[in-house]
Amino acid sequence: MNITHRSYNATVAKVRAMYGKRVSASDYSELVNKQSVSEIADYLKKNTHYSEILSSVDVNTVHRGFLESLLRRFNFEMYLKITGFERISKQEFYNFKIVNAEIDVILSCIRHINANSEDRIINDIPIYINGMTHFDLIEIAKVHSFEEMLALLKKTPYADVLKDEHTDSNGKVDYSSCEVKLRTMYFNRLENYVSRLAPQEADMVNSMILIDIDLINVINAYRMTAFFGEDEKTIKEMMFPFCGRLSEKKQTEIYSAPDAEEFIKRFSKTYYGRQISDSGYDMNNLEDNANRLRFKYAKLALKTSSKASASVYAFTYLMGVELKNLICIIEGVRYGIPAKEIEKLIII
Amino acid sequence: MSIEKMEFVNISGPTKDLYPVIVKLSECGCFHMETASKMAGKEKGAPTIKEENPYTAVLKKLSEISARTGVKFESTDFSNAADKEASDIEAYVDDFKERLSVLIERKRTAEEKLASYEQALNQVTHLKGLDIDLQQIFSCEHIKVRFGRLPIDSYNKLPYYDDKIFYFTYFTEEPEYYWGVYFTPSFCAEEVDDIFNSLYFERVHIADFVHGTSEDAVEELNAMIDENRSETEACGKDISELMAEEKPKLDEIFTLYKKRHDSFDLRDKAVITNDKFYIIGFVPKRDSDEFLKLFDDMDGVSVLMQPADANGRLKPPIKLRNNKFTEPFSMFVEMYGLPSYNGINPTTFVAITYTLLFGIMFGDFGQGVVLAILGALLWKFKKFSLGPICVRIGISGAVFGLLYGSVFGYEELLDPVYEKLGITFLPFKIMDNVTTILIGAIVIGVVIMIISILINIIMGVKNKNYEEALFGNNGIAGLVFFGSILVGAVATLFGAHIVNAAYIIILIVLPLVAMFMREPLSCWVKGRKFHMEGGISDFIASNFFEVFEFLLGYATNTLSFVRIGGFVLSHASMMLVVMALAESVSAGAAPIVVVIGNIFVMGIEGLLVGIQTLRLEFYEIFSRFYSGEGVPFTPVKINYDENIE
Repeated sequence: MNITHRSYNATVAKVRAMYGKRVSASDYSELVNKQSVSEIADYLKKNTHYSEILSSVDVNTVHRGFLESLLRRFNFEMYLKITGFERISKQEFYNFKIVNAEIDVILSCIRHINANSEDRIINDIPIYINGMTHFDLIEIAKVHSFEEMLALLKKTPYADVLKDEHTDSNGKVDYSSCEVKLRTMYFNRLENYVSRLAPQEADMVNSMILIDIDLINVINAYRMTAFFGEDEKTIKEMMFPFCGRLSEKKQTEIYSAPDAEEFIKRFSKTYYGRQISDSGYDMNNLEDNANRLRFKYAKLALKTSSKASASVYAFTYLMGVELKNLICIIEGVRYGIPAKEIEKLIII
Repeated sequence: MSIEKMEFVNISGPTKDLYPVIVKLSECGCFHMETASKMAGKEKGAPTIKEENPYTAVLKKLSEISARTGVKFESTDFSNAADKEASDIEAYVDDFKERLSVLIERKRTAEEKLASYEQALNQVTHLKGLDIDLQQIFSCEHIKVRFGRLPIDSYNKLPYYDDKIFYFTYFTEEPEYYWGVYFTPSFCAEEVDDIFNSLYFERVHIADFVHGTSEDAVEELNAMIDENRSETEACGKDISELMAEEKPKLDEIFTLYKKRHDSFDLRDKAVITNDKFYIIGFVPKRDSDEFLKLFDDMDGVSVLMQPADANGRLKPPIKLRNNKFTEPFSMFVEMYGLPSYNGINPTTFVAITYTLLFGIMFGDFGQGVVLAILGALLWKFKKFSLGPICVRIGISGAVFGLLYGSVFGYEELLDPVYEKLGITFLPFKIMDNVTTILIGAIVIGVVIMIISILINIIMGVKNKNYEEALFGNNGIAGLVFFGSILVGAVATLFGAHIVNAAYIIILIVLPLVAMFMREPLSCWVKGRKFHMEGGISDFIASNFFEVFEFLLGYATNTLSFVRIGGFVLSHASMMLVVMALAESVSAGAAPIVVVIGNIFVMGIEGLLVGIQTLRLEFYEIFSRFYSGEGVPFTPVKINYDENIE
């Protein structure tokens, strides 16, 4: 039997069992009403699946940054637990989270180089993935220029993608172009691995990935239109070159909108626009609600899929949202944002 | 087995008598108070009383004392306290609170010290193995030393700082952290401290407690911990003694003030106009004479009794009247919602059907008896409200167990008894009569459904709700339709050819048309004009789907009762498995398997059957005739269990 075509039902069951332990709506409403980071840490330690990783943490003195880094690591450990359960991590598709994390580190380095910052980038590096990555995370944190970084990435797939990027007279590199190229490479690799899955499974995962890309593109295009007034050509250059349920024609129509209002109007006539309306979300809050729609699709995929690839992909996304929700609450409470305002930002 | 009849009460009198009247009302235990401003004509300009409750302050102090000491105050005779001046009582409470605070503060200080020493001990314990005088390390002039713990992730980031001058070493580890120390020259200590801060290094300031080596420090800290623990215990004992000594007095004050406080709060519901107060509410009719006597000694107070529905704005509250057998089942009725004042009390119906259905499904003599005994014990010792229900349904299970010939899963145990008695038709072997059981379950369901529909028809006629009573799916039209289908099906099954065109048109089609047209027909019966909202197409579409849903409902609800048969079979099957397991093990282990198996089946099956029966009650029976929109009868009283926040 071709190993790729195995069903991995145990992984699907494991994913669902782990998802069952997620932070619930009632947990969120308790958390948003906390008065300090310590209280949040205490609640997470006593009432949620983060209790194990927070077991030795002194909640009274825990630093906000450290708490967030622990939550991030727990999120990654969940992914490792699932992909290690039936050793599916040996299949390239399932390394998507590591590749994604590598790209995040590279982009973080580029931002750091461009900003010529004295801050230590090492603090933001997820050191727990060192050893699983194509390059050494300590070494990349030490680079001071784009050329140094390219030299370090020499034997990795990222070198090829970034080789045509050049620095300007100030040593800065086009960040947006790098991001589009790296993420496009990520999606291309993902599509390539997906095509090796059994046909029905491949269709399912592929459609999930394309929905993600569609909505990421829409969110980015909306930002470029609403906040920077960019034209269709510039927007198109910055989009990931994939089409899911938004045909090229439809994309062109939306991206050519002269302003945010028109953008929303045109978007509301698309498949996703109708879905957002049908879900009762406010179309004017497009960015937030497009993310809610992504979340909804992922939940549905997790509920209905009997294939490990789709389940793991959806689960990873859902847990990513949970992480973002928690970080949002921690930051909100830290800056004294009213509970009701924080609640609006939570995706459940 | 009905709903308690109520009287609407209107009390009025001079304002000076308001407080004594309220005290009497809260003591009588039969007065359901309503807000007087709800009365017609009193909404505008009728001042309700909004004053600060003068008893709250003392009660709050008592509540604080209770919270700080964990001692709960209880209601008691307060005649001694009632004779004292309010100012004396308040001074006493203040003085007591002060004495208590001194002790609590002493205890808190000792506890804080204890906690800090324990924390220090925990930290120093991690330095075990460092066989150096810690004081010597701290006294280094050119080297800075920092003890503490570093997250493991941060430790893995240290190679990034290989150009900085410091040395970190760890002694012990725990999940997520390394306990250790770093050394750095004084001249770059600031920068290195900054690096370690950014790596979430949690520094431990242990110098105050540490003398000598870490072993010496541990010894010293242990001695200090013992000393403070003794002090904490001594303070705790002093607090307990003080509380024990003063509790009788405090209980009296609590009871007196709680009574005054709650009574004062009830004034909010009264209305005052022209120096007269008005209070309204309901009293059970059977208590009305006793209630009137309460005010015989109050000349200026007048009490007017009227029928319960005298004031259309107020719904009379519901108090269910049940006998001893049905009383425990009122819990289920209240869980669903109380009936309306003109409705019926379904507790008897629930009690009978629940007991019967549970018994049928749980039929086992031994297990039934055990369940009944368990229920009785739970009620006696724990006042567990399901206890009395367990007694009744346990007995029912035992009776059906006798019929099935099943005792703790032994299906042949009663056979000789029946043989000796010459009863040939018993025991009724479950596994030999599967079809009979399933058909029987449906018959039971049909009977229960028909009774429910009949109750709905009676209630509908009584309340002049003709749409429901005559033309609804749970009315006469529905009953004729449902009954005709059943009779027709049974007759056809037995070869009687009664189903012909006339039968179909009159008994099946006509009731369906009546259900379809129930709204216009109901208007016609009431002599009103029917207004078709939304046009003819909307009317046809909505009524078509509603009638379609009714038809589906008849089928699904009837089949829903098959579960009764299903659970009879599952109970018997589970016990068969237990017996088979018992046979497969050694003779010594068999009794253990039987006992554990019985406990398991009783637990699982008891719970499942209990829930399923309740489901049948709520969904298949209550939904036909019961709305559950009544207001509970809650007589005003002083609640001594409730604290003032």
